[in-house]
Amino acid sequence: MIETLQFWAVVALLGLGVFFTFVSTVGVLRLPDIYARAHTASQTDTLGAGFALAAVAVAFGWQQATVYSVLLLFFVFITNPTAAHAIARSAAETGVEPLLTEDPDDADDDATTAVESEGEIQ
Amino acid sequence: MSTDGHQEGAAVAVERLLVPLSDTVTVRQTVGYAVQTGLEDADSLECHLVVAMPYDADVPESDRYRDDAENLLSRARSWVEEDAGTADVTIETATIGVDEYLFGPRDYAEIFDAYAADHEIDRVVIDPEYQPGVTAQLLQPLERELERIGLTYEEAPVERPARRGRLVGETEDFDRLFAMFWISYGFYLVLGDPTYWFDLLTGAAVAGIVAVSLAQVTFTVPLDRVQSPIRVVRFAIYVPYLLWEIIKANIAVSAVILRPSMPIDPSLSRVNSRVRSGLPLTALANSITLTPGTLTVRATNQELLVHSLIPDAREDLFDGGLERGIRFVFYGRDAAAIPSPRERDDAEIVGGEEL
Repeated sequence: MIETLQFWAVVALLGLGVFFTFVSTVGVLRLPDIYARAHTASQTDTLGAGFALAAVAVAFGWQQATVYSVLLLFFVFITNPTAAHAIARSAAETGVEPLLTEDPDDADDDATTAVESEGEIQ
Repeated sequence: MSTDGHQEGAAVAVERLLVPLSDTVTVRQTVGYAVQTGLEDADSLECHLVVAMPYDADVPESDRYRDDAENLLSRARSWVEEDAGTADVTIETATIGVDEYLFGPRDYAEIFDAYAADHEIDRVVIDPEYQPGVTAQLLQPLERELERIGLTYEEAPVERPARRGRLVGETEDFDRLFAMFWISYGFYLVLGDPTYWFDLLTGAAVAGIVAVSLAQVTFTVPLDRVQSPIRVVRFAIYVPYLLWEIIKANIAVSAVILRPSMPIDPSLSRVNSRVRSGLPLTALANSITLTPGTLTVRATNQELLVHSLIPDAREDLFDGGLERGIRFVFYGRDAAAIPSPRERDDAEIVGGEEL
């Protein structure tokens, strides 16, 4: 009984992890500029990795390796925003203009209207 | 480089001296030596007393540093006056490096060199016990950096007391060593097996080495014996809240991305946060970035420049939930109850030119 429950919990968690990683991939492909893409890239690291590591923890049950997976998640949570911030900041430093809604209140289908130049990224 | 002035030191009527000060046991003797030798060579002396601020001097906790620096400068000024007697001595005092990021001895050497060049300094007198800010045992000493950079200096011949090190610093140093030891020991045992004698023994040895070599670089502000552990506990309470926010934001962003019309609304906003810079601001900026939909592009002092993808995420940011969480972690429950950035007019949408 417990075994089946554990099995399906692992399947569900892995499924959710894969789902959020998938959404993140779609986001990277669909979103218009580097800043918007950085948002969705962090989804993989937060919920994608989070659910996958939760699945690992459930699969192992109560033992030492469970502690490791929690620690892994902790380090991912520290390093991921640092990397995202570094990317966004270096984009800003090199002069990449973000695509912005002209008037943020009545925006619906913009994202194509704004700036053409993506700056000079070497 | 400012090496040219040194040889003519005895010839010119005014001799300009640079004495970097730090609160050591030998600083009094150093000042005395500097004034005495300076007056031997020239009729009148211009004595520059400077204190270089450590790199974390802009955090509110280190108002203490600033007060200490002022205090030290005024004391040194009266020492010079006392030693000079009737001789013609002008005293200049300055705190330097306030708007720079002084970290290791190299930065200190460079900033002294720049100061010497600006003020046409003839001689530099260094206190042999001089401790620039955060000196870990791993860093090169200041003397070597000064030689590397080509700034000639003179070490004041002082009598060192048998016992080295500042008395006041000892409990602080102990706190750092203590905290560092238990953090690394704990981490070692989490990775190893806390019930196995071999791991317990090697862990203690490793933690000891780590604590001795890295305690000075790990904690740059003094630890508080009561507050620091409480903060760790509060942080543990904050994490589930942050996870909940992340899950909500993830679902919202996923919904937007998967909709065929993709109704995104990218905007840049500026938020003045009410947390001090340093660790709390880092924690806040990281929490904001960790939440999908908001991304910290820049963090200068207390001002965050945040890119947001959807209006909901921006609204959440302006409501300041995460800011309250961080204030709760670092300052306690009372401090968490502040008006949101929107209510106190600290949040606004800005254009791309703000980058």
